Amino acid sequence: MILENIGAAFGEIANLTTLGLMLVGVAGGLIAGAIPGFTIAMAVVLTLPFTFGMPATQGLATMVSVLVGGLSGGLMAGILTGIPGTPSSVATTFDGFPMARKGQPGLALGIGVWSSFFGGMISAVLLVTLAPQLARIGLEFNPWDYFMLVMFALTITASLSGRNLTKGLIAGAVGLLARTVGEDEAVGMARLNFGNDALLQGFDFIAVLIGLFAFSQLLRDVRDPEAAKKSLTEKGTIHAKIEHRAAIREIAKRWTVVVRSALIGVFTGILPGAGGSIANILAYDQAKKASKNPEKFGTGVAEGIIAPESSNNAVEGGALIVLMALGIPGDVTAAVMLGALLIHDVVPSPTFIAEEPVLAYSIFIAFFLATFMMLGLQSFMLRIFVLVTKIRMYMLAGIILGFCGIGVFAINNVEFDLWTLLWFGILGFVMRQFGFPLAPMILGVVLGNIAELNLARAMAITTDLSPFVTRPWSLFFLIIAIFSAAYPLFQAHRGLRIWTLLYLPAACLAASVPLFMMGGVPRPILATLLTGYGLWTLYRRWQGGWHLEASSQPALSE
Amino acid sequence: MGRLNRDAVIAIVLLMACGILFWSTFSIRVPEYGQLKPSTWPRVVLGVLTLLSAIYLVQSLRRGPTPVDEPGRGDANSGDGAPGPKPGLIGWILYWRNPLWCFGLFFAYLMTLPVLGSLIGGVLFVFTLMGVLGGWNAKNLLQHAALALISVGGMWSIFTYGLGVILPPGEIFSPF
Repeated sequence: MILENIGAAFGEIANLTTLGLMLVGVAGGLIAGAIPGFTIAMAVVLTLPFTFGMPATQGLATMVSVLVGGLSGGLMAGILTGIPGTPSSVATTFDGFPMARKGQPGLALGIGVWSSFFGGMISAVLLVTLAPQLARIGLEFNPWDYFMLVMFALTITASLSGRNLTKGLIAGAVGLLARTVGEDEAVGMARLNFGNDALLQGFDFIAVLIGLFAFSQLLRDVRDPEAAKKSLTEKGTIHAKIEHRAAIREIAKRWTVVVRSALIGVFTGILPGAGGSIANILAYDQAKKASKNPEKFGTGVAEGIIAPESSNNAVEGGALIVLMALGIPGDVTAAVMLGALLIHDVVPSPTFIAEEPVLAYSIFIAFFLATFMMLGLQSFMLRIFVLVTKIRMYMLAGIILGFCGIGVFAINNVEFDLWTLLWFGILGFVMRQFGFPLAPMILGVVLGNIAELNLARAMAITTDLSPFVTRPWSLFFLIIAIFSAAYPLFQAHRGLRIWTLLYLPAACLAASVPLFMMGGVPRPILATLLTGYGLWTLYRRWQGGWHLEASSQPALSE
Repeated sequence: MGRLNRDAVIAIVLLMACGILFWSTFSIRVPEYGQLKPSTWPRVVLGVLTLLSAIYLVQSLRRGPTPVDEPGRGDANSGDGAPGPKPGLIGWILYWRNPLWCFGLFFAYLMTLPVLGSLIGGVLFVFTLMGVLGGWNAKNLLQHAALALISVGGMWSIFTYGLGVILPPGEIFSPF
């Protein structure tokens, strides 16, 4: 069955038009990822208007290609100029740039490119194998569970995406509120439109995403008049030839770093709210801890490039696993991918892979093929990158804003969407300026109607609210939402307050309750392990006399 | 407390917005069918937002005025490392002139869209924006004109001929 679906999906993708579009997508993504200040999400969201006229498979394959290209593009700028092209490649500069400056830019690039490739491949294999399994678990979800899953996605995104949890939660709530404007989907009544007919259709969420993410970012990039007139990068070694063979040899000697980092990337991608920007630092940190020569990190060692590049390419595989299996976007880029699916009338849910196997497997195949294309295109795009670096930021901003003015209209052929773009561009700019993270707001906009529809379905079944705490999955998501919301508080006080010693054991014990309630065999075993770990941690801390030093280890080790 | 800090002002604005929006939820028609009223979900979200804004206000008031709020100081959140705006309205406008130009010109593009259409309007928008951001000398003028024509013209062609989208032609083009 799986082979049949894979064969059919290949048949859908393997035509000249789709492959050509994918090549253009990967090339565009590589360049977009290489431009500092131009994020992957921005590249993917700006591709959306081009894809709406295409068949679903073709459009989604193009979007996936831009995504894969963007994930790998950041390394070019990071290694050659020392300025990370995207937040996902920040850690790549730690060792990539020093290696390039030591006279080995070709090797550094080669290691980066091949690590990205292997990371992407591991992630793609996991995507194909894990997404259908996770979708099976998703079939157990009822409206109460889905509602709580959305709440969990919002709280964890808010807690991970900014220094101030309150601001993150406010941003998420504003996103949910923005989605309530216009006719409600359940009964079709006008809401919060203040008598304005144009607002009846609500804010198109693609226009909102482009406004919040692309428009506001460009305004930020040109804020400083002097910096806006400068070329995108004015330093570093630009000329280099990728040394493929030497790079593969270096990576083969350190294959454990590749596998570990890719797994870190996939896990981070699965976790809602945590994206490539966290994964690359986490993988670098773990590679350094596991190394026999950690003191050499930062001077241009191969592991320092392998770890972040394997992990950041693996992240999107993880995010796509959750998106394809549950319909919940793990990060902003996945939220944009959800937008692309919705444009093509495809609503991801646990039944998506079973009901639309060819389309689902086309996305998997596109992810595979795009990773190969990325490998082939890197050398060529390096030359284009040299040309792109000569462009001045204000020119790029002008061209992209001009594109927004045309592309957003093309989505629905409605002029009001352009006004939506402008107002949300201003809102996004103001929010960034005042320190409000945009990721929770974007997830709020994307997930707002999913939350409301599931609440409506739950209420239609029974007006009793107790299933939110008596259904195992709903209770599980509620518990981890509460603990994820409390995480910033825990981080701020760890090592200072006694209660922080109870955070981890309490989280383990609380999460084990719904797992026990789920029944079966594996989940109660997992619950028992969690309970055991929680009790063991409590015992250790009791033995340690509740000394605060006992917990003052790095946060990530827990 | 001599004066409110910036976060407190934002929190008050948020609370006022919540009040207005909550009041407007009372004008939402309630049908006789369906268990979840159309006004329930917006009210739940507004309730949460009001609570969070109140917490934000309390946090801001407890912190008191911060150096960020002092006139002429850098903005901690701007992230560009540049010194902040000089005191007064003129200083503020000068500091934010580029984003203000972008907003203003995009607004003008939208206002003139029914007349100029997306092709002429788009080219003019990109050309003018590049001019105000990059300068108006002769070399720039030629470069900006070429870039505006090629980029907007190219995108317009892709959407019109490649994807079959009917973009606003404007009154200038529509007689043809």
